[in-house]
Amino acid sequence: MIAAYRIALVARRELRAERRQPDGVVAAVTFIAVLVLLESLVVGPQVARDAGVAAALFWLALAFATILATMRSFDRELEDDALEGVVALPGGRDALFGGKVLSLTIVLVLVAVVGGALSLVLLNLSVALPLHLLLVVLLGVLALPAIVVVDVVLALRLRARAALVPILALPVLVPQLVAATRGTSAALSGDAVGALSWAGLLFAFAVVYTVIGLTIVPAAIE
Amino acid sequence: MTETTIPRGNTLPRIRPWLGIAAAASFVVASVMALFWAPTDTTQGDVYRIMYVHVPTAWLAYLAFVVVFLASVAWLWTKRPIFDAIAVSSAEIGVLFTGLCLIAGSIWAKPTWGVWWTWEPRLVTTAIMFVMYVGYLLLRGLSTDFSRRATRAAVFGVIAVIDVPIVHLSVLWANSLHQLPTVLRIAGAPSLDSSMLLTLMVSVGAFTLVYAYFMSARVSIELARQGRLWTT
Repeated sequence: MIAAYRIALVARRELRAERRQPDGVVAAVTFIAVLVLLESLVVGPQVARDAGVAAALFWLALAFATILATMRSFDRELEDDALEGVVALPGGRDALFGGKVLSLTIVLVLVAVVGGALSLVLLNLSVALPLHLLLVVLLGVLALPAIVVVDVVLALRLRARAALVPILALPVLVPQLVAATRGTSAALSGDAVGALSWAGLLFAFAVVYTVIGLTIVPAAIE
Repeated sequence: MTETTIPRGNTLPRIRPWLGIAAAASFVVASVMALFWAPTDTTQGDVYRIMYVHVPTAWLAYLAFVVVFLASVAWLWTKRPIFDAIAVSSAEIGVLFTGLCLIAGSIWAKPTWGVWWTWEPRLVTTAIMFVMYVGYLLLRGLSTDFSRRATRAAVFGVIAVIDVPIVHLSVLWANSLHQLPTVLRIAGAPSLDSSMLLTLMVSVGAFTLVYAYFMSARVSIELARQGRLWTT
């Protein structure tokens, strides 16, 4: 109960900082918009509108956006020397991980909704199963931040961090990205059973990686 | 911490020559069996013989990364430097053998599938595993402080092992060009001719001895390096 309260405190602090200085969210949404525009220019509008291609690009963009937002969140901590203060508190490491994951999930839901709506409009996509799509997007977003937070923590204060984090995070995120892409594609093209089974897998990934993160991340925060 | 608290691995130099002799001898036996004793495959002809390199290197990739995982857990649990030495040694050897596995698979794929590389699940997940452990080594290379480097690498070593079962089972989960598992099968006994299976087992044993030999040498080097780190 106390741990949950501490996590909520850190998450609230993160969200407040994000509201005052929303450069992480703005960068993430802009990144998705740029990628969608580039995609239709590079591969042509017909290929770009294919449900599988559009879904793959959206999730790749969201994975990079997660990395951007997470790195920005930790940069803010380092700029203000706030990290040491949180880590020094009792249960601070767990709270830091849990709070970061929770706040990033909320931020990413916003980014995914805005970025997704932008993709649908720009690519003129029709959605066969809107509720299924919403479920897949929510669970997909839930499955991303835990791994990215772990990898950003591992690369904290290292030179070449901007290159290292994607190298560490993206290979580990492959199963989530595959499941999210297939689920989104199924929801766009009207395959309800496919969308629900991929959504179930995404939920499992979210639980597994959050538990792993909570178990071992405190050891990595120094 | 003083120099006396660092494990020196005194037994490793003593057993290493014997490991080397055993590895070289078993390698010769495995090569003779693979090239001359094992029968020619009725469908693939002699091209299939690359399996006696490809499968053992794939096995060593799995083994090496599972050892990285176990050593990483042991480091996080005990903070004994020997476990960090084992983890980094196994990761380096694992990257080497994963690279060899991909190259051997590519050489086999060209005459069999008509292409050096195709985007199918087993190949892609193996390539991802390769990149993942290159990332592990990069992470180590960029950290300077010994304890922080070991801890960061250990945490990543624990997470990265999840890719090992994904690689092995990817051929079952998705429609794949790659052959289904013939030895480590969930369904039961290996589905392979007995002389081919025996040759494959000897090859796997030979490669495993090579891994053990490389490990003994690399762990000794790493322990010596750690010793220098702690005493300077």
